[in-house]
Parts: sequence; structure tokens; C-alpha cells
Amino acid sequence: SSFSEGCTAAVDRSTPGPAGLVFYHMDLYGSSERFDIFPEEPDGQGDRSPEDFREESALSSKKMQSTQEAGYDLGKEVEELAKMYGLDEDREKELELLGGHLGTVESKQPLSHTGKAASQGSLYNVSESSSPAQSQSIMPQEFLHEASQEEDQNKSGEEDEAQSHVCSREALSSCGVSEERSSQAVSEEEEAADVFCSTCKIPIRAFDKLFGEHKDHEVVQLDTAVESEREEIHKNMCKLEEQIAQTENFASHLEEIFITVEENFGRQEHNFEVHYNDAVQVLAQKYEEQVEALAEEKRKKLEALYGQLVTCGEHLDTCKELTDTTQELYLEKDKADFIKAAVTMVDRLEEFLKKEVNLELSVMPEFEERVIDFSEVEQLMNSLNTIPAPGAPVINPQAPNAATGTSLRVCWSLFSDDTVECYQLCYKPVSNERCGEEQTAPSPPTIKTKKIRSCENAALVCWESRDINPVDSYTVELSKLTDEENGDIITESITGIPNCEALIHLQPTQGYRISVRALNLGGSSERSEPVLIHTTGTYFCLNEDTAHPLLAILDDGFTIACDELENPDCDLPIYDNSFTRCIGILGSLIPFPGKHYWEVEVEEDIEYRVGVAFENTPRHGYLGANNSSWCMRHIITPSRHKYEFLHSGMTPDIRITIPPRRIGILLDYENCKLSFFNADIAQHLYTFNSHFQHFVHPCFALETPGILRIHNRIAVPLGIAFP
Amino acid sequence: MALKQVSSNKCFEGFQKVFEHDSTELKCKMRFGIYLPPKAETGKCPVLYWLSGLTCTEQNFITKAGFHQAAAEHGLIVVAPDTSPRGCNIEGEDESWDFGTGAGFYVDATEDPWKTNYRMYSYVKNELPQLINANFPTDPERVSVFGHSMGGHGALILALKNPGKYKSVSAFAPICNPIQCQWGKKALGGYLGSDTSKWEAYDATQLVKSYPDSHLDILIDQGKDDQFLSAGQLLPDNFIAACTERKIPVVFRLQQGYDHSYFFIATFINDHIKHHAKYLNA
Repeated sequence: SSFSEGCTAAVDRSTPGPAGLVFYHMDLYGSSERFDIFPEEPDGQGDRSPEDFREESALSSKKMQSTQEAGYDLGKEVEELAKMYGLDEDREKELELLGGHLGTVESKQPLSHTGKAASQGSLYNVSESSSPAQSQSIMPQEFLHEASQEEDQNKSGEEDEAQSHVCSREALSSCGVSEERSSQAVSEEEEAADVFCSTCKIPIRAFDKLFGEHKDHEVVQLDTAVESEREEIHKNMCKLEEQIAQTENFASHLEEIFITVEENFGRQEHNFEVHYNDAVQVLAQKYEEQVEALAEEKRKKLEALYGQLVTCGEHLDTCKELTDTTQELYLEKDKADFIKAAVTMVDRLEEFLKKEVNLELSVMPEFEERVIDFSEVEQLMNSLNTIPAPGAPVINPQAPNAATGTSLRVCWSLFSDDTVECYQLCYKPVSNERCGEEQTAPSPPTIKTKKIRSCENAALVCWESRDINPVDSYTVELSKLTDEENGDIITESITGIPNCEALIHLQPTQGYRISVRALNLGGSSERSEPVLIHTTGTYFCLNEDTAHPLLAILDDGFTIACDELENPDCDLPIYDNSFTRCIGILGSLIPFPGKHYWEVEVEEDIEYRVGVAFENTPRHGYLGANNSSWCMRHIITPSRHKYEFLHSGMTPDIRITIPPRRIGILLDYENCKLSFFNADIAQHLYTFNSHFQHFVHPCFALETPGILRIHNRIAVPLGIAFP
Repeated sequence: MALKQVSSNKCFEGFQKVFEHDSTELKCKMRFGIYLPPKAETGKCPVLYWLSGLTCTEQNFITKAGFHQAAAEHGLIVVAPDTSPRGCNIEGEDESWDFGTGAGFYVDATEDPWKTNYRMYSYVKNELPQLINANFPTDPERVSVFGHSMGGHGALILALKNPGKYKSVSAFAPICNPIQCQWGKKALGGYLGSDTSKWEAYDATQLVKSYPDSHLDILIDQGKDDQFLSAGQLLPDNFIAACTERKIPVVFRLQQGYDHSYFFIATFINDHIKHHAKYLNA
């Protein structure tokens, strides 16, 4: 709720002057809080709507009339107040205004307290509820508390009731019953009060308390009893709700745990299965290997033994044959034959006996000792509870600018569950598959140095390729120039540029060496001749195509001159894009947002227009005369230098006492501003506030013979850089 | 010099306060408004003095000009004093709205009965800044001044009479050449006597002619439909001409359709705050 305007008085110390010079002081609004909130609400509950409240206050004032004999006519007072301030018309106002009259009500509070009749209690109650805002702000809690203690039980019950009425407006805990309860409470108090016997725990009539069996029993107002019972029940309800909430919480927690356990165990089961299978496989493999090796050994041994056996048999046979032959010799009768045969025989025998007979076993009968290697299995078994091997990473597709001539940036991602110690990166060169028809690599492109534009944060570079070989794309390579003379290290490459132009983002106040390569299937060209770009200030060139035929650009490229305003022979060449009326020219500003600053050196005695224009500003009009150009114009009148700041042909009326000789122009796309300065003294002259829909270009025009000198590639001077 | 706080209101995270004090220069109780930007809670801030026009009190500017947001953003303390001594019981003090109470004209009176109390020039130049510097987190080296109408005159003469003291100056519809206009003739005559040569010491257009250097950037806004412009009370052309001749940098903006009111001031107050902030925060 806002402060109403009603209770303020205009304090005007000024004397009214003539018409138009009447000054009013501002109304002084008090800013103190309207009502303080009790630090603690003892039993406040529920929120009461203003309607409810109004209803009750009407009711109470009615009651007021009926209890006038109580001695204190508060009802009338309240009614009067209500009338005076339009109580029923504007609730907000009422609060405000009654707040302004705290004193009146405050003085009445103790009065109602000192009254001792029972009806006074209800009267007090009414006064409380009819002005809740004040009573809250002025009655300290201790006071309420003390008062309630002083009064008898009966009265104190009422007081609590009253207090709860009062506090209920502020209390935040919402409880639907409070509304009906408050009205109910009021109506019940009007009837004969029934009471509640605390001893017997039953409701009784007040009459019984005085004369009946409950005479000595402790009683409380029935309302109060009901109240406290409800309170009790409500408390229990709250407890129950709390418990329900807790249990529900716990249950959902349990569910979560359940799922987690299932998941975790499932995963582990799978793990085990995989690992034990591995282990079993390894074991089986080992067994096979061992068995095979054993069989091999057996075969070899048997073979060797068999061979030895065969050799033995052969030897035996030879022995036997020799023995037989010798015996046959003994039987020979003929001496000559015997001698003859005996000599041969002796030689043979000698020769045979010379041969050693190998009676050793060629192979050992035992099989070789074999160590059964369980280490692998062990390892497998041990790895059962360690981290599983990660899944294969996924290599990201190559990002633009990720490669230079000698390097390539490779990025990959892995599955989030995996834990990785390190990666192994393999690569091998591949040849281009489509290389069926041999293509020659293109020759290097040529950067158009005259068309380079730059600013603090970017450069626009154009080039041309005079190659007969087709070019698929271009790569711009840039190296930041540092003091350490390692300018050859390419710090960044921009690959895959399809056309002969690139806008390169750079860092402010740095030097860069930029070169271009052309690429096709045959490979990449050599680097072009590099160009140097320094990102200090904004750099642009003049667009000669736009120059009016009478406008000359001097050799430095940044001085424009005009010798005569009209040419006697009207056969000057006029290009499509050139200004035809205004002796002007456009610059080629880099199409990049941010701030751009340049200066124009002018002579005091020439007339000119300088500013900015859209690329398509009408060539047959004057700069500033249309809505596509903004400029500062200097006109020399017989009496003074006149300056106009033109857009759509409109200018503010501005007088400048020092004709600037160097005009600073600050174009700020982000803040939608175009500002003009006297750069020599950093004096701000004028600012256009314009949201430029397109990129603009600097524009310059001469309206009397003379020259303009353009300075760019300068940082924004400090006094001008101020936001 | 005890200060008594009259009011304090939070405003754009800072505080707009009003104080009362006993002025030794003016020998009466004086009030001034001071806006303390949020930055003043942590460090020293430059001070920008605002001088109000005829009939104003310290209240007009702080309640109507809407300068708080810009001042909060740029971290400027803005002080707005009253326009004259009050309650000095000088005969004729309250007879007219353009002389006496509410029309101190920022001069040190030399004539009886005014010379005891009507010393607004010294008050604004010396006493008030001392008081402000002693009681608030200011940077005494960074001070600028601006004002409206009679206060514009006050701002211009303060800057021109004290080269180097103020970093910048600006004015809304200032009385540029008081020795030539009715308001000025009445006030200067009344406070300084009939010797018109004495008046020139309080005339911006005259002061420009002897201003030593040009390190002062002056911004002036003037409503084109200001009835006091056409009535010849403000005479900015004379000032412009003098500045042009003396090569004092002025940007004078004649604002189409605007009058002399605080609505005009509120429209361009941000430009002025920014103008000062550029020099105060440099």
C-alpha cells in the first residue's frame, strides 16, 4: 500500500513570482514506518480481509451505542473519526490517517483499562478491534501482558481474545477458522456467558458456578475452553501432519534406497559374471596350453626312445651276421681260401668293433618340471573389485579453426561412468581417396592491402586468387607480434573460408601478422605475402568509388581536397556509386559493433560536413539531409561560425565558442551514440542518440574549396572515452 | 559549526539529507540539501555544488530536478544551499521576490543594511565547502559548480572568479550579464551601491574578459521559450560573444520549446551531471 496524498501539507516558503516562475516545494512525506509489528505473536493467527474488518468495526460501533452508559463514549469518537476521514470509503487512507492521530487514541487506552465492570471488558475489546493499526503500534506487549495478569481470569480470557483479534491482521500463519471464529466470538459474548468447569471437564451455565455443585470448581469461559481445546486439537493435528510428512519422506527415501540397492547389486553381479568368465576362460586356456605341451614332450621322448631301440636292433643284427660269417669261416677247408677270407673278416671285425656302442638313454624318462602360471588369473581375480576398463572415447568432429598447417586439435569425450588414467592417441597419415585425377595445389593468394579495415577488436581482410587451379577454400593464419621475435609462430588459423574475405576477431592494441593460403585437393598453397595489422583505434580507407568528381584524394589517401565548387566543362566522369551533388565521399568502416573513433582536421575558414552514413545513403542528396546520415556541419555566417548537427535535415540550436580545428567523432554502436568533440580540448559538442539499424560508414563533404585531413588508427582519447 | 539533520531519505541507494547550521558568514540559521551517493559510504567523492534561482530554497532542486540517479551512478556528492539568508529581520527583506530573501544573488553585499548578512558569495565559496569537507567524505580537490538562472549566474561567477578552483561549470538559463538586465541592476544596485564599476566583479560576461586561461569547459542549456530570455534578463548572447572572443570553450544549447522551469532542468540534468562527472572523475 502506498502513502496517500491526503495528510500532507504543502510547505511553500517562496513568494509567488510572475507567471511561470512559481516554485512549489515538494510535499514532505514522513518516511517512518506506519506500524510496528509485534516481535512475537503470542496466539495470533489468520489473516483478516479489510471487508471483514470493516464489518466488524461497524458492528462494534453499533454496540458502542448500546453500552454508552458504561461511562466512556468511545464509540462516538470512533464514528466521528470514521466520518471525518471517510473510514468506509478508503481503507488505505483510513490506516494512514488514523496513524496520524495516534495521540488521541493512545490517551484513551489506559482509560478503558481502568474500568472494572465486566461490560467494560467487552468495550475494551471493541476499542481494540476498531483501531487495530494504532493499538498495535502504540501498545507495548508488556503492557498488554501485565494488564491481562492484573485482571481476573474471566477478563483475561477476553483480553486474549481481543489481542488475537488485533494480532490476527499481522499474523502470517493462515488458518481458515479464524475468520468465522472472530465473528462468532463477538456474537457469543452478547448472550449470557456459558462457562466451562475445568474440574469436571464439562460445560456448565454460569448460574451453576454461582450456586450449583460447581461452586468451588475452577471454571473458564466456554469460549476460552473451546479455544484451548481447539488449540490442543490443532496442535495434535499439526503433530500428526508432521508425522505423516516425515513418514512419507522416509518412505520415499526408502524407495530410493531400494532402487539404488537393486541397481548397485545388478551392476556388481554383472561385474562378477564378466570377471569370472574371464578368469575361467584364462584357466581353460592355460590348461590346454599345458596339456598340449605335455603331449608334445611325450611324443618327442617316445620318438627318441624308439629310434634308439631301432639302432640297437640294427647293431644286434650286424653282430649276429658277423658271428655267423666267422663261424662259417672256421668250416672252410681250403687253407688258401681260409686265409683270404680270414684277412677280410678280421678287417671287418676290427672296423666293426671300433664303433662304440652307445648304451646310454638318449632321453630322460621323466617329464620336464612345468611351473603352472596362475599370475594372470590372480590378476583377473584381483581386478574383480577394481575399476572396470573404460569404454571407447568418442572423437568429436573437427571444429573450425582447430587446425594449422602443422597442428591439429583433437577433442574427444568419454562416458561419464568411466574412470580414466590416461589416453592413448594414435594417428597415421591417410591419402586423399579421391585423388584419381591429379590436382595441382593452388598458388598463394594476394591480400588486398588497400582494403584492409580494422578496429580494436577485429580486422576485415580481403584477398584475391589469380590461380587457374580451382580453390576449395582459404585458410587465414595469424601470428601475434610480440617483443620476443617469434612472429613466425602461427597463433591461430581460420580454416575453410569459402570466399575471399574474412572478418577476424582480434585483441585490442596488439600487432598481428596475417597471411592467407589457398587450398584444394592438391594441397595448400604457400602463404601469401603477410600483412601487418595493429589493433589500435579504428582504421578505414576512403571509398574512392563514392567520391564526387570534384573531390580529390591526395596521395596519403586520407586528405580530401576540393579546388572549385563547379566545373566549367560538365563532362566529368560520374560513377554509379559516387556522390553527385554533395562534394563528399564515404569511408569504408569495418562492419563490427563496438566503438569507433576518428578525427578530422579542418580549417576554420572552410565549410564542411562530417559524420556517418549508411552505405546506401542517397548519392544525390546532402549528408545529414536524410534519415540515412548524421553529420556535423560548419557554416560561416557574416557574424559567426555556425554549427549544425544534422539528421533528417533537423539540427538542434547549438552555439560553440571555439571553432574546433580537430573534430573527434566517436561512433558507439552498443550505446547507440554518435558524439562529436573538439578533440584539441576534449570538449563534448553534441551527441546523436540513434539506434543504427545497419553498419554505417564515415562520411566527409566539403562545401567550400579547401581540404579535410582524416586521422584514424588512434585510440579514443581519455577525456572522450568517458562513458 | 554543528550540523543539525533536518531530514534524511534513502534515494538510489544513497541518501538525500537536509541539514541546518548557524552560518557565521550570514549570521543566521541556514539549510542545505546534500545528496550522498552510495559510493560515499566507502570512499571520498567529488562534490558538485548546485546554486538555485530566485525565490528558491534548498528544497526546490532536491525535490524537482531528478538528479539523484545520475549522481548516484557517477558517485557525486551534490550540495544544494539556500539562496539567501533568512529571518534576519532586515527592513524590506521580504518586500519583493527578486531582492532580499530568496534573492541573495551570490554576492557579498557592501551596502547597509544588507552587508552584515547578505554575503552569499563568501558563504558558497568558503564557509559551505569548509563545512561540507569537515563533515562528509569529500575530496576537496575535486569540486564543480552549476546552477539555474540566478544560480547559473552564481555558478559562472564562482568559476570565473576562481580559476582552477572548480573542475567544470555548467548552467541552466543563467543570468549571464546581470549589469545589463533589470534583475541584476536591482540586486547589484541594492547590495553593492550605485557605483556600477563594482558590479562588474559579479558579472560573468565581464569576468570572462579577464579570465586567464581556457581550461574551463562550460555547458549552458537555455530554453528557447523561456520568457526571461525574451525579456532580456538572461542575455546569453553577450556571454557567448565574450567567450568566443576570449576563446573560452562553451557549448551553448538553445533548447526548442523549453521554458525556465524545473521541467526544463529535469530534462537536461543528466547531461549536466555527466558533463561534471567527466571532469570530476577524470
